[in-house]
Amino acid sequence: MAPYTLQPVAQAICTASKYTFGGGAGQGTFKETYLATKPDGTKLALKVLRPGCSSARSEREVEAMKRCSHPNIIPLLELAEIIHAGTKYGYLLETFMAGGTLDDRLRKGRLTRNEMLTLGGELISAVSHIADHELVHRDIKPTNIMYPNAGAEAVVCDFGVVRDLRKESITDSFLLVGPGTPFFAAPEQLNNEKALIDWRADQFAIGVTLTVGHFGFHPYQGEGEDENQAVSHVAARKGPSDKFVRAIEASRLPVLAKMVALWPAERVRTAYKLLEGWRKQN
Amino acid sequence: MPAFHQIGHNSENLLSEKGLERFGGAILSPLNYGPSAVEAQIQSLKSRPGFVTIFDPHLYRPQSERMCLPEWDYYPKDVETADLNEKWWASIAEKVASTAKKLETGAVASPAIVPKIFPDEFFLQLIATGNRLEAALRGSPVKPIQTIIANMADLASQQRVMTIASIVSRSRISDCLLVFVNSIEPRRELADPEELKGAMRLIQTLESGGQTTTIAFSSSDMVLWKAAGATNCATGKFFNLRRFTISRFDEPNDSGGGQLGYWFEESLLAFLRQSDVLRVRERGFVSSASGENPFVAPILEAIPAKEPWVALGWRQFLYWFADAEYRLQKGTTTAGDLVAVADRNWAEIEKSKPPLLMEERQNDGGWVRQWYRALVELPNFR
Repeated sequence: MAPYTLQPVAQAICTASKYTFGGGAGQGTFKETYLATKPDGTKLALKVLRPGCSSARSEREVEAMKRCSHPNIIPLLELAEIIHAGTKYGYLLETFMAGGTLDDRLRKGRLTRNEMLTLGGELISAVSHIADHELVHRDIKPTNIMYPNAGAEAVVCDFGVVRDLRKESITDSFLLVGPGTPFFAAPEQLNNEKALIDWRADQFAIGVTLTVGHFGFHPYQGEGEDENQAVSHVAARKGPSDKFVRAIEASRLPVLAKMVALWPAERVRTAYKLLEGWRKQN
Repeated sequence: MPAFHQIGHNSENLLSEKGLERFGGAILSPLNYGPSAVEAQIQSLKSRPGFVTIFDPHLYRPQSERMCLPEWDYYPKDVETADLNEKWWASIAEKVASTAKKLETGAVASPAIVPKIFPDEFFLQLIATGNRLEAALRGSPVKPIQTIIANMADLASQQRVMTIASIVSRSRISDCLLVFVNSIEPRRELADPEELKGAMRLIQTLESGGQTTTIAFSSSDMVLWKAAGATNCATGKFFNLRRFTISRFDEPNDSGGGQLGYWFEESLLAFLRQSDVLRVRERGFVSSASGENPFVAPILEAIPAKEPWVALGWRQFLYWFADAEYRLQKGTTTAGDLVAVADRNWAEIEKSKPPLLMEERQNDGGWVRQWYRALVELPNFR
């Protein structure tokens, strides 16, 4: 892991706010995350934005989080700026997710059918709310799904590459691939088909996340194939693997199969219908 | 669902005619009628239980085809100079919604223009306008309908069909009015199997995603659209002769649907001229559907009396359309059956001795084979 370069800034924020600085907790392209504790013991995630690093993206992230208010979406507690050593830094304060990520959870073993169905309901509910605000998260994956504490409902985090459908896209049309994590991304993201991006790209990512969490493999990953081959099949819009088709039939999860369809038009059209269909699979 | 009547010039009276009661809805035309006439049509149709009225603002070619459009409040005065940007469309959508509420129509289609080309941005704009219309109608009894205009030539590619379906299925509106644009000549059938498969796949994909489709400006190709799962198909008295083609607008308006009488024959899925009707009857190719068509006997009386039967021809076609739509919907017949029978009959005609030569050289049933292919090959359309 690269060194935390914004630690002095984070420490300065903690000092100014009378928080206890708790060290680095993660880093991304546009920001570094630190642990901070309030005097009453409440733990916070302090996210310091890198100066000059795609301010448009950071602005969209903040705007998106401010628009959302849902139990399965991480709340934005505060958005502020600090001048440190003559440079202005933006930072965000979010609830610290002490329960870790879904990725941490999956390291301990796969989700049972019931756990997967419960998690699916929580994620669909979150994405339904995001879609109501004409937003597309575009990076739903196990490391961006967190738990406030053990046993709590999952929350969707990290709106770093969020797409606001009411605004001009930031992604250049000439790029071969759009933003997102390829292993979980829908074909329209992998192929940078901007006109096709809507909430159904998030539906696809949830479908892959749940498939990986429950079955342990990507829906488009055939026997003996690696992760890159699965991504290639998705990008080329080649049908799902036989083992996925068999697994879906055996588990009676038709809605999960529909969620990872290769064209948005073949997925569930509205979030409301998706939630309704998902619950019927119980 | 029952067939829809696409109202054209002087055709609203056909709706209440004996023998044409099977039409369960009408697409109203502000192109042919001004506000007071359309309002009167709506009020009169309200007395028919379950009858659906759809107001189509008909802005397809607002610069070249105006007729009564300038009488309408929503018709843009700046159509020749405006940029037709998002703001412009938003204002039109608001005005169309307000017109529809005033008219008390059952439903209204979102305004749309026929473009020169059909890129993704065009479909995104259609959806944005549709969503504006939906927002403007929220809380009113008028139902919004999403207009989708697709170019048949583009639909030959499965990739393009799925791209279009993916964009238009984003609409907040669950009912679509689908207009297929093509460049074939009037009185010719759609006959490119790849395009037909693409159009059918588009209907199929939208319907299976929960959006109902009403196929506007249909003709006998209705049998294919029904096979693809279209909820409704609409036709008008002139669509036995012409369809929504670019060339249609190049024809002189005063010629109406043409002065020749045409008979639609289900056994051949073809329109026949007077002399062909006699030849086909003589060889025993007339279907039982034609036998039951109440407008057939008056035509057969008119022919020897040398009386014109153009208007009876419209009615004979309209009756067939609504009746066949009903049978297809009910499942008492299938598109496969109709097309297979027609294909077999055309094969017999080809082999017949002495040869049975239709008056029009192009009336050779060639499209029936392509329709058959489209039906059979649709599941493997890639």
